[in-house]
Amino acid sequence: MILVIAEQREGKLNRTTWETIVAAQQLAGVAGGDGTIAVLVPGASVAGVAAELAAAQVKEVVTVEHAALEPYTPDGFTAALQDAITQLAPSHVLLPHTYQTRDFAPKLAARLDRALLTDVTGIKAAGAETAFTRPMFQGKLTADVVPQGPAPHFVTFQIGAYRVDQVAKGAAAAPVRALSVTVDASAIREKPEPPFQQAKQAVDLSQAERIVSVGRGIKEQANIALAQKLADALGAEIAASRPICDAGWLPMERQVGSSGQTVAPKLYLALGISGAIQHLVGMKGSSTVVAINKDPDAPIFEIADYGIVGDLFEIVPAIIEAVKQ
Amino acid sequence: MQTLAFWLLFVSFLGAFAAQVTRRVQLIAAAPNTFSLDNLGVRTSRFVVDVLLQWRTIKERPFTGLMHAFVFWGFVAFGGYTLTEFLYGLGLIDLTHAGWFHAYRLALTPFATAVLLGITYLLIRRAFVRPVALGTKVSVESIVIALFIATLMITFLLAFRLEEGTAAERVNWWIHMTVILAFMALIPASKHLHLVLSPITVFLKSTELGNLPNLDFEKEQVGLETVKDLGSKIVLDALTCVECGRCQVNCPAWGAGKELNPKTIVLQTQEAVLAGNQERKLGEIYSEKVLWQCTTCGACENQCPVGIEHLPIIIGSRRGLASNGDAPEYLGAMYNNLERRSNIWGLGYDQRTKFVTSAELETFDPARHDVMVWLGCAGSFDADFQKSLKSMFAILRTCGVKFGVLSKEKCTGDPAKRTGNEYMYQELANANIADLKAAGPKKILTSCPHCVKTIGDDYKKFGYEVEIVHSSVYIEELTRQKIAADTSRDKVTFHDPCYLGRYAGKVDEPRALLERFGGDISEVERNRENPYCCGAGGGLLFNDKEEEQGTRISDVRFKQLQATGANTVVTACPFCSIMLKGAGASAQSDTQFVDLMTYVNGKLQPRA
Repeated sequence: MILVIAEQREGKLNRTTWETIVAAQQLAGVAGGDGTIAVLVPGASVAGVAAELAAAQVKEVVTVEHAALEPYTPDGFTAALQDAITQLAPSHVLLPHTYQTRDFAPKLAARLDRALLTDVTGIKAAGAETAFTRPMFQGKLTADVVPQGPAPHFVTFQIGAYRVDQVAKGAAAAPVRALSVTVDASAIREKPEPPFQQAKQAVDLSQAERIVSVGRGIKEQANIALAQKLADALGAEIAASRPICDAGWLPMERQVGSSGQTVAPKLYLALGISGAIQHLVGMKGSSTVVAINKDPDAPIFEIADYGIVGDLFEIVPAIIEAVKQ
Repeated sequence: MQTLAFWLLFVSFLGAFAAQVTRRVQLIAAAPNTFSLDNLGVRTSRFVVDVLLQWRTIKERPFTGLMHAFVFWGFVAFGGYTLTEFLYGLGLIDLTHAGWFHAYRLALTPFATAVLLGITYLLIRRAFVRPVALGTKVSVESIVIALFIATLMITFLLAFRLEEGTAAERVNWWIHMTVILAFMALIPASKHLHLVLSPITVFLKSTELGNLPNLDFEKEQVGLETVKDLGSKIVLDALTCVECGRCQVNCPAWGAGKELNPKTIVLQTQEAVLAGNQERKLGEIYSEKVLWQCTTCGACENQCPVGIEHLPIIIGSRRGLASNGDAPEYLGAMYNNLERRSNIWGLGYDQRTKFVTSAELETFDPARHDVMVWLGCAGSFDADFQKSLKSMFAILRTCGVKFGVLSKEKCTGDPAKRTGNEYMYQELANANIADLKAAGPKKILTSCPHCVKTIGDDYKKFGYEVEIVHSSVYIEELTRQKIAADTSRDKVTFHDPCYLGRYAGKVDEPRALLERFGGDISEVERNRENPYCCGAGGGLLFNDKEEEQGTRISDVRFKQLQATGANTVVTACPFCSIMLKGAGASAQSDTQFVDLMTYVNGKLQPRA
């Protein structure tokens, strides 16, 4: 059985968990065994998250609820998961390579004296065994590593290595059951402070899933409203290139580029942005770039997945209409 | 009796002079030795031009500089006279009645008049006009010194009117001699020490602008961290500073209202060296913020008339900070890009390959190609700059030049070097040098002035020497016999890139090229060898932000270019182009920016 450890905070699922489930589904095909997958959700109150995850094609979702698991502490997590893993006896334990995982996974694997492979980007068969691909030397090389020693083997997956939209959903919701664990609360040495977000930017575009970004092609301030309408229709954040923010048409914190924010949304819609390199470096991590520009030679088309050469004042209203339908 | 009194005076004042000078010589001697005497020919000619002819002093401030030159030449002319009078006063030998001495005195009178004229002007300038470069406070000591010099000249001239042996003549003589001695005792602790030191400092100044020898990691060198790390040339520089403020008024950061003032950096160094606390951190002395405001344009160092090298202090201190992980956040992101992707943008090399394919470039082969083209970070990835490179390729093909490119390139390491990340610089440089040696070009052509400096100057320090030319120079020579298809003329202005105009000294070639193909240049203020920076150098390409102190350097430069009245700005560096286009777009202007290669190609090729 392959066990995926989900990550959630205060009932909100970290979407990298879905990526890990995709990895687990692939591993099940490669590694043989009984091919079953269970998802373990640790936390204080995780019924909602468990129900959400039950949509995936997995054998079961296991909740591990304990007061010592929220807020997160490495000691609390290690103790609870050590107990749960011992009870469930999986062949592999899969985790998203988040900061939280980086914090407790080495400790957990060491406690159980099992192999841990981190930041994995791929899975492949290596004869009768399974190899995991991971970067080495700052990404200059990649290595295929086969974990040795008794099961379970711990594997953490690089964020973005698997795509959430490839997750296989089950015909019916997977069963959810609770597993009780014992945690000695007095053995937890960490006393966490309440979490805080460093108040760096009033608008944090780096977390946005969709961004509508405007450039000089918007011509005048009054036209920003059109872009805003499109953003509203798409449920996107509005952003801009440097001249728009310098002109005060949009606030500075909405500037994308080398002198603004660096963003990586799933959809980046560039309206009238020529695509100067200092803008491109701020949005090159976007999954899908759609560019609308009058100039067919605009550099933005070099990196756009979809390019529309034309007048944005004709195209944008049409898109808004299409989205509304 | 008078002789004895003069001896007493002489010994005490000269003793005061000697004690102060000895202390300073010891400070220089105790510092790690960084003196070099390479390129003696260049050093000698520079000594003649800058010290004896006072050219660097006169060039930037012609009238003031000439007045200073009067005082300087006067001092030199008076040397023999002063010596003779001292020998007489000390009772050693009396040559004052020799026939030649009388002629010598007469010959000195025009010099004395010139010194008097010069010092009066300088005194008025310092005490009353007080230009911003001289600082906000009136320097009392400078005024005393100026009055001393005036007194020397007046007493010298007065002596012709006084009969020898009279009380008046004796009093006049005593005043003259006492002032000289007092002057001697006063100068070591003042900026007037430059009288003694600046000829030496000018001679010892590196012949390469912004010369930063490689750090030797085997010897655990990490750059400048504390006062004890300051090398002997830096200590000498700090003691030589004449506080004229040429570095200050030419500094683009200072000009844009930032805190950085190169003169302050030198004076803070002087203060720290004299205070003697060897363990003080340089980051505290200069403030880290100020150290990261420098674009490494080199204006301070290049304009300094007394041979001070500012860049080794600033970049040396950055090395110390970067070695301790104290580089600013925006550089951390760039270092990541350099480390993972070997280019400043963090883009994948498939984009360079795509460009190489679409531009139909061949892999360099010394047997088949005349020249190797180095694309650089901008040429490999910036679609905008790639257009100008395509123009250059078109010109080369029109002229029948066979060229090729490397199959792979890494960033030369310029942004790492200038921001003090020496380890990363050396990694990139060594990798490129290995590839270049394997490819074996005799001559490299590039359109990036930063690559010219790094490959041409900095790679020499690894023992790799190759001729590298900027496209403006190469294409200028190549197209001398070419006739433009389009003979229209445009009013344009040309922005000299710092690394081309100032570092490489190439100012005539781009202008000749531009004029040959239809550009009527309306010159901008701060041009040629002393341009005002666009703001991109020294890693600041990624920190040209509105919220930073003062205004953006790029905005200041853009306004200067706009003031020429030309609607077309011709650039010759990808980074200048990025900065100035950004400033132009923010100013909502319709000023056109065009790279020199694109401009020339547009005129050279018949329109389709």
